Amino acid sequence: MNHEEILRNLAESVISGDEEKAKDFARKALEAGIDPLRAINEGLMRGMSRVGDDFSKLKIYLPEVMMAAEAMKAALSILEPAALQKGAGALKKSKVVIGTITGDIHDIGKNIVAMLLRANGFEVYDLGRDVPIDDLIRKAEEVGADIIAASTLLSTSMPYMEDLISLLKERGLRDKYIVMVGGGPVTREWAASIGADGYGDDGEEAVKVAKELLQRVKGK
Amino acid sequence: MNSIWEVIDRAETGPYMEERDFDLKVVAKKCRELVKEYEIRFDPNEIVTTDDSMADDVYEAGMRLALEAGIYCINTKRIIKFDESEIKEGILSAPKELVIGQGRDSRVLYARGVEDPRRAIICGGQAGAAIPEEWYLPMSISYMKEPLIDMINNGGLAVVEGRKVRTNTPLEIQATRRELMMLREAAARAGRPGISFIAGESSVSVLGDLAIASERYMRTSDAHLVALLNELKTDYDRISKVVNFTEYGAFNVTLVDPIIGGYAGGPEGVAVCFIASFLLGRAMYRSEYHVCHPIHFRYMSTSAVECMWNLNIVGQAMARNAPFIIMGDVWTSAGAGSEMIFYEIAANTITNVVTGTHPLGVSATNGKYPHASGLETRFMAEVAIATVRSKLNRKGANDLVVKLAGEYKDKMGKPDIGRPFPELYDVNRVVPKPEWNSLYLTMKKKISDFTGLEI
Repeated sequence: MNHEEILRNLAESVISGDEEKAKDFARKALEAGIDPLRAINEGLMRGMSRVGDDFSKLKIYLPEVMMAAEAMKAALSILEPAALQKGAGALKKSKVVIGTITGDIHDIGKNIVAMLLRANGFEVYDLGRDVPIDDLIRKAEEVGADIIAASTLLSTSMPYMEDLISLLKERGLRDKYIVMVGGGPVTREWAASIGADGYGDDGEEAVKVAKELLQRVKGK
Repeated sequence: MNSIWEVIDRAETGPYMEERDFDLKVVAKKCRELVKEYEIRFDPNEIVTTDDSMADDVYEAGMRLALEAGIYCINTKRIIKFDESEIKEGILSAPKELVIGQGRDSRVLYARGVEDPRRAIICGGQAGAAIPEEWYLPMSISYMKEPLIDMINNGGLAVVEGRKVRTNTPLEIQATRRELMMLREAAARAGRPGISFIAGESSVSVLGDLAIASERYMRTSDAHLVALLNELKTDYDRISKVVNFTEYGAFNVTLVDPIIGGYAGGPEGVAVCFIASFLLGRAMYRSEYHVCHPIHFRYMSTSAVECMWNLNIVGQAMARNAPFIIMGDVWTSAGAGSEMIFYEIAANTITNVVTGTHPLGVSATNGKYPHASGLETRFMAEVAIATVRSKLNRKGANDLVVKLAGEYKDKMGKPDIGRPFPELYDVNRVVPKPEWNSLYLTMKKKISDFTGLEI
């Protein structure tokens, strides 16, 4: 099997959400002498990019995106250590801490954003639903996050997003993190009014904004 | 016999499962399998369907999903299961007619049929929106003074006495009580003292809900919404709301809002999930009536083509097999004050009225902005009445709905959000400003000409 075929199979294993196949072809890539970084970028990431496109066109749905992310994670568990051996730092991914904010248990929108961020190469720490603001900050500090992202479907949980920004300021951490907000009642204007750095109308825009902000604010 | 006591027991003792497994291995897997087995197909050119057998297949698939999945309780990670006899008992005992409201403002809310010749009941208000405290009263009056509006479901308050309301805090109690006080005041001022409410929208947790179970706020001829969480889930806050209103004696209304693109899959899987949700919602919450609200993963709006197809197929499936009283939401991407909103309202309302649901709305901008008023809901009512009066059948309705959707579906990503209520209405006299009234008249004529309906 030539390199192109292996890379194509890696991409396909992600698209079909097949964990075993993904691991199998990750091993085959290394055995065939493919640079692990190339296997990640031209195999896994290519597959994930297709998954993201298909989801945005409603050709596939959230479960398929979740399975694709699992397959990618399985293959990365083999390719990442090999890539690090070849040159640590080359794989450094931007980190996002994300959660549905205090008082709110609606998490599907947040799950979609988390999955699409993963699909686009971010390292995502998903703290789940009804997440207290200090938990978001604590986790961001712990993992050295670049972005803190908060979601809500409830207008009465939106003030907790303001509290998140206030608490970051109070603790002298505001400049350390990009803060993104989103969810049903959250608007672009409101996000700007509370001093959030970014807002996405949907998962696709959230990813685009996250990438732009990283480049603009953090030079990544 | 199944009861709320039994539901509480099962939430504590039902089979244990990790939530992710329930999402993926139960809901996602079963929905996908059932869609394939029953060969359910969404066709964007047939938004209002005429295939009775597909409606029956969707129903049968939904019944199977209900029996196999049950409802997941988030707090206990246990599944509340119901057997076939319990679900069937829920169907048989579901009200087919219900008197809502009081005195001359009371109405008979009924289980609508497919191509039903009866006038639909019109529920007005910007449901789901956070409405500024200072406009809440005149905005509510703007709906209640519309003679064609039969009942009210307006939004909630996110600010009370100038303070931002945070979920699960004491202000939630004050916001919910203030909402009801203003609705009562609005009803009196509009000369509709007995009009029925679906209210308590400011009560996100159970706190506000507990605080309004009193004649001073909610009457037993009124209702509150109790959501099923996405997908096929509940929690103790929802169950507590049911316990509260069951003992108080007012109506429980199940809000079902599966997400197209979420765990249930595409439009077809969501249709199956809808049926399961209605059947389980009735068995679990003992709801007297129900709200059908498909959510589009990107646009949210019920006026999206995939969502209207869902309102259509679910409405027909239920009307033919388990006639529940169902309100079909009318949530638009555009706001009041725009031209686009009229096309969305017309398409969404025709779909609902012909396929078994009563229109509830207009929740303009999907409730994101308080850009709404009584006037566009008057238009919704007029479309509903014209649809019935013209004896529009499903085929005719589909032709119109596809044509109307063609006018806005490509604009849903960047809709015209219109203008806030005080820019549309004279808030002292509570009448539409001339400009808004003139746009309404122009668009009413335009859509009458466009559809051939005498609106």
